[in-house]
Amino acid sequence: MDRQEKIRNFCIVAHIDHGKSTLADRLMEYTNTVAKRDMSEQMLDSMDIERERGITIKLTPACMKYTLDGVDYTLNLIDTPGHVDFSYEVSRSLTACEGAILVVDATQGVQAQTLANVYLALDANLEIIPVINKVDLPSADISGTKKEIEDIIGIPCDEACEISAKTGLNIESVLKSVIKNIPSPKGNEKAALKALIFDSYYDSYKGAVSLVRIFDGKVKAGDEILFMQTNKSFMVTEVGIFTPQAVATDYLSAGDVGYIAASIKNVSDTKVGDTITLKSNPIDKPLDGYKEATSVVFCGVFPLDGDKYQELSDALEKLKLNDASLHFTKETSLALGHGFRCGFLGLLHMEIITERLEREFNLDIITTAPSVEYKVYDNKGNVYDVTNPTEMPPMANVSKMEEPVVKMEIITPKDYLGGIMDLCADRRGIYHDMQYIDANRTKLIYTMPLNEIVYDFFDKIKSISKGYASMDYELSGYQDSQLVKLDILLNGEICDALSIIVHKDKAYQRGRALCERLKTVIPRHLFEIPIQAVIGGKVIARETISAMRKDVLAKCYGGDVTRKRKLLEKQKEGKKRMRRLGSVDLPSEAFVSILKLDD
Amino acid sequence: MAVDESKPMGLYIHIPFCGRKCDYCDFVSYSMDYKAQQLYLDALFTEIDMVKRNFYDRTFDSIFIGGGTPSIVYEGYIASLARKIYSSFHFLDKTEFTIEVNPSSFTKEKYFEYVQAGVNRISVGVQCLDEKLLREHGRIQSMENIDETFKLLKNSEFPNVNSDVMIGLPGQTKSSVMQTINYLMKQNVKHISTYTLQIEKHTMLYSKLKKGKISPVKDEDMVDIYNKINKTLTKAGYCRYEVSNYAKPGFECKHNLKYWDDESSYLGLGVAAHSYIDGYRYYNTKRLDTYIDAMNEGKSAVYSKEYVSNEEHRIERIMLSLRTQKGLDLDKFKKDFNEDILRTRAEAIKKMTELGMIEIKDNYLKIKDDYFAVSNSIIVELI
Repeated sequence: MDRQEKIRNFCIVAHIDHGKSTLADRLMEYTNTVAKRDMSEQMLDSMDIERERGITIKLTPACMKYTLDGVDYTLNLIDTPGHVDFSYEVSRSLTACEGAILVVDATQGVQAQTLANVYLALDANLEIIPVINKVDLPSADISGTKKEIEDIIGIPCDEACEISAKTGLNIESVLKSVIKNIPSPKGNEKAALKALIFDSYYDSYKGAVSLVRIFDGKVKAGDEILFMQTNKSFMVTEVGIFTPQAVATDYLSAGDVGYIAASIKNVSDTKVGDTITLKSNPIDKPLDGYKEATSVVFCGVFPLDGDKYQELSDALEKLKLNDASLHFTKETSLALGHGFRCGFLGLLHMEIITERLEREFNLDIITTAPSVEYKVYDNKGNVYDVTNPTEMPPMANVSKMEEPVVKMEIITPKDYLGGIMDLCADRRGIYHDMQYIDANRTKLIYTMPLNEIVYDFFDKIKSISKGYASMDYELSGYQDSQLVKLDILLNGEICDALSIIVHKDKAYQRGRALCERLKTVIPRHLFEIPIQAVIGGKVIARETISAMRKDVLAKCYGGDVTRKRKLLEKQKEGKKRMRRLGSVDLPSEAFVSILKLDD
Repeated sequence: MAVDESKPMGLYIHIPFCGRKCDYCDFVSYSMDYKAQQLYLDALFTEIDMVKRNFYDRTFDSIFIGGGTPSIVYEGYIASLARKIYSSFHFLDKTEFTIEVNPSSFTKEKYFEYVQAGVNRISVGVQCLDEKLLREHGRIQSMENIDETFKLLKNSEFPNVNSDVMIGLPGQTKSSVMQTINYLMKQNVKHISTYTLQIEKHTMLYSKLKKGKISPVKDEDMVDIYNKINKTLTKAGYCRYEVSNYAKPGFECKHNLKYWDDESSYLGLGVAAHSYIDGYRYYNTKRLDTYIDAMNEGKSAVYSKEYVSNEEHRIERIMLSLRTQKGLDLDKFKKDFNEDILRTRAEAIKKMTELGMIEIKDNYLKIKDDYFAVSNSIIVELI
């Protein structure tokens, strides 16, 4: 049997929480790839945050050995991130495979991201193996779930595996099905090297390491390789596979999944989607589908303690080593001092990065309200990309503005349909279509401004539907919009870090809510502080924090002096942690409040 | 910065007994019991004997017997204590000698005992004239007792009487506070301490508050009362010489002034007493049994000691002097701490002067009358 006939490259696609990572664990355990005693829950999710949230952010492939009918097979499992922010990465991982296991939770049925991911898999021409998970649970509806898959996705489910990834039930049937149904790779080992980068990571010893699928040819240490999109070449220092730990091998050849290290300093040189070939014998044209990772959501990130700017800078540099999709540039705010304007693939990406800054680097940070990229046209016909409200030209000079919109798909049990449609309408959604998935569930399709979902849309969907609805979106372009810049004035001075760009119909409501919220989080001062929400010089909302009337008047006798002094010292420390804007001290909650507006 | 050793010291003696603990009290006190009182007096004598040699070259000009309720101990107790301290420390001629009394345990006999012992200042714990309110907060005291106490002091023309008044007892109204103040003025009390109640942890009041049985007086209302008192007392010729203390001219409490002067030393004796001597703070044990045991075994009653660093000194100077009417002596501050605060805190001082919160006069920086109520926030800007 030909070498490639014994290889299967596949991935698992699923909606969040449907058991993808657990199944991956079970497969590795079953094939003895990882001894049970070394097994930590969800082996492939190597970041703490991933394990805690049950989502996969960073991909880790695993090379498993399995013997069936006397043949030793190599099964390469490429894990994919399960979140919409990373759909480009998902698409590249899928391209690296010939097949996909579609996991559907028998207690929940098909969900928004099941669909989004399975469509991506179908687009990549993958053979799809349906697997019904959680069949051991009392609430499992196996036949209903199969019918949904057949009806909605159009994949026959007669031979679908019915498993419990948790208990290990019928795991072997999945392995057999993978070997039987997924085609083996059909590359040409003799041809020139053609390899796809589907992920990369930074290793402090090896430098930026590319995770690749070899389509044609062969690569080994000592080869000089060429990255076709960046047009840079490097000398290969090591190739290998993941077991799932990185293990060096002599070479990688057509059909293989593994890694290439070449002492590359920057992970941005190993771009996901790029094609690797040999410098001495290059292929004519790279693989299709290369896309630069573009930022969609932006926010300012500042150290809580101004002295920690350098530490924040170092931390972002370190995160960037491993995450080419993170973008940041220096930003200076009157209120917050020196910090960075960061661009993210999406909301989750933003959350992950800020959380990692706090957890892994022990930094206290302040983030400003997330923004999207607006197109601003001025009277002279110039167009500006504005991702930061402070960069907005004066409204008087603006002739037109455009904002990014997404195509939003929401799947919800029909009981919550009304609530969700109200929410979408409130968020300026334009209704397109409603499809019935089954007697109980409905798929809604809307066009929505991205800026309406960057705050708390997902949380709202979850709370309206008690967690049952799911959503997925993709950018679909720009539309004209009546947007305004809303500023907040504290004691007459503009607080740049609190400025937001908002639709004019919502400005009043937002401004009022923001003023009210700020009133509760800013401590009383020795003087009265007016809080005003302003659009282009016009005050649309106002609150006042009255002056402090009393602080401790109590007696102060001998034994109390130290205690009193310590209290004052503490009070002073607290003030130091605040940001001073003019004469107003702002606690960090003031900046958080803008993110947590319940409107 | 050295503490001025030539300044006369103060002596504080703590009497930890009470008839009953008031709900708001966080001072150390124990229920009264004759035997315990006697053991305690013995222990005090021992402590005096232990420490007196350290002070043979120092002079004292104030004595303050506080508590607890010093008037509750048996007759002869204070006289005997006074004899012991006179024979152990050097006192200047015009030594101020204060004792705190509670109207419910203060008798004619005790009055004469105190006067004979040299007491020349009596501090009457009035707190509030609203009997019902006081009872709710666990204080045993009747209007009748209070009347008798003041009648006694008035008839015998006792010259220097202080009264403590509490502001902000849950349930208290402005008119009831003003009634108390007016009553004290009528009694010709020379010194009034008015402090706003701070609900301390480990008090009955705190637990009642936590359980939602009472609600605290609003800050606005407290300030309102505080300002009203200031107006009334100022008009009547009292001077607010410290945040919570008023006195007719010449009747400022010498002993308390030492607490607000970081250069003055004072010696505290007895359980839970606190001393500040030459830049060190000493805290005696807060447990009565531990204190008595230590004395019986000839060990020190001090359980912790701290050195006040130069930076801490600096903060205490600002904090304590700004609480007083006199304010912060800028020349002295510059000399002692090598810092021109007008320059180092220029921005804050400019702003607060503009807002009318502080003023600089004759090289003293002080908080203006109307802003005493927010002295903490002002002080924080300057430390």
